[in-house]
Amino acid sequence: MMLLLAPLRMMAADVDSVYVSTPKPSAYDKRVLRYRKHWEALIPTQMVIQNAGNMGVVSVGMGWNYGKCCQWETHLLFGYIPEHQSTRGKLTMTLKENYIPWSIDLKRGWSIEPLQASIYLNTVYGHEFWKTQPNRYPDSYYDFLSTKFRLNVALGQRITWEVSCNEHKIAKSVSLFYEVGSCDLYIRSKFIDSSVPLKDVLGLSLGVVVQLL
Amino acid sequence: MAFISDTHGWYSDLRDEVDHLNGRWDVDFVIHCGDLTDTGTSKEYEWARDILHGLRYPYVALIGNHDYLGTGDQAYQVLYGPVDFSFIAGRIKFVCLNTNATEYDYMAAVPNFDFMEEEMTKDSARFDRTVVVMHAAPYSDQFNNNVCKAFRRYLDYFPGLMCCVYGHDHADLVSSIYNDDLLFYGIDCAEHRNYRIFTFTPYGYEVEQVYF
Repeated sequence: MMLLLAPLRMMAADVDSVYVSTPKPSAYDKRVLRYRKHWEALIPTQMVIQNAGNMGVVSVGMGWNYGKCCQWETHLLFGYIPEHQSTRGKLTMTLKENYIPWSIDLKRGWSIEPLQASIYLNTVYGHEFWKTQPNRYPDSYYDFLSTKFRLNVALGQRITWEVSCNEHKIAKSVSLFYEVGSCDLYIRSKFIDSSVPLKDVLGLSLGVVVQLL
Repeated sequence: MAFISDTHGWYSDLRDEVDHLNGRWDVDFVIHCGDLTDTGTSKEYEWARDILHGLRYPYVALIGNHDYLGTGDQAYQVLYGPVDFSFIAGRIKFVCLNTNATEYDYMAAVPNFDFMEEEMTKDSARFDRTVVVMHAAPYSDQFNNNVCKAFRRYLDYFPGLMCCVYGHDHADLVSSIYNDDLLFYGIDCAEHRNYRIFTFTPYGYEVEQVYF
């Protein structure tokens, strides 16, 4: 009899009191949260358009910014080299890492990033290009890395316009940047013969970064 | 006439070479035996072209193996035309042959025997002697060495064949590669700062190696 009454008493007490406890997430819930958080980190936070830069006439792609002050950026770009006088147009792919250490606030939503330092690796698609020299050549015949992959470095600056919170439609902010860069082959040419004109070794590139998230 | 070769990368040396040639009085034209560039980029082609355009003589350039890298061979053809070509000067035909078979993985007609056959008889009324020019010599790492002997046979059909000239080896060697009476003149690279002057006379030719 006592055993039957006990639950009834407890029920009465529950009705009277305010229930304040928060449900404790189960191990499964935690795992799902963690899982989502990790995959969410892969959602691109930026959209990027860049011209030139040894990656074609125009490249488009996505980017991720991260770090304490979002000072790091990784861009994945696909570019197009028009046919010009060659046999066909070509596709390129670029993986680019940017470091933007400072941002100077100019008020009214504008800011300037006085330095954007980049290093990037790119590849061009086509049977003419090889990653390492094919077997038909004797060992270390062409004493350089590859005709398919280029390592590039660039320095530049950017200006950013922050879209105010109540005007958000597509983007949080839009940045325009320029950079001056070169690739391993051109730097090598300059080292072999310093008379190679510096202006020919360096290239100007312009671009837009749209901050989506 | 002057033969230069393998100028890739050494633009200052090429500039000096061009200046030195421009200072001579005994040159009618210049043949570059190939390897204008080091990695076949358009920029390297332009750098080499801009310097070579400073020559006060006409010049032709053969394609070298380095000029093929990437799509360099396409840039070469835009700038200099077909990879096999010939011209006649003073009743001597200069047959310039592409011999970079390794660049095609031996899958193309290199050397092009059809072209050679055509050139043996084409414009035969306008020439009595022949000089054959190539980038890589027979038995080198670029030549299709399976056809070295066939190539030698074909050379015999050129009217009044005087000699062969090649680059590629960065050496000034003169040898009879086939151990017969046909001489092959190697043209040194620009870095070694020398070139060769060939003076053709009605009775033969003289060769001078010039350092600058």
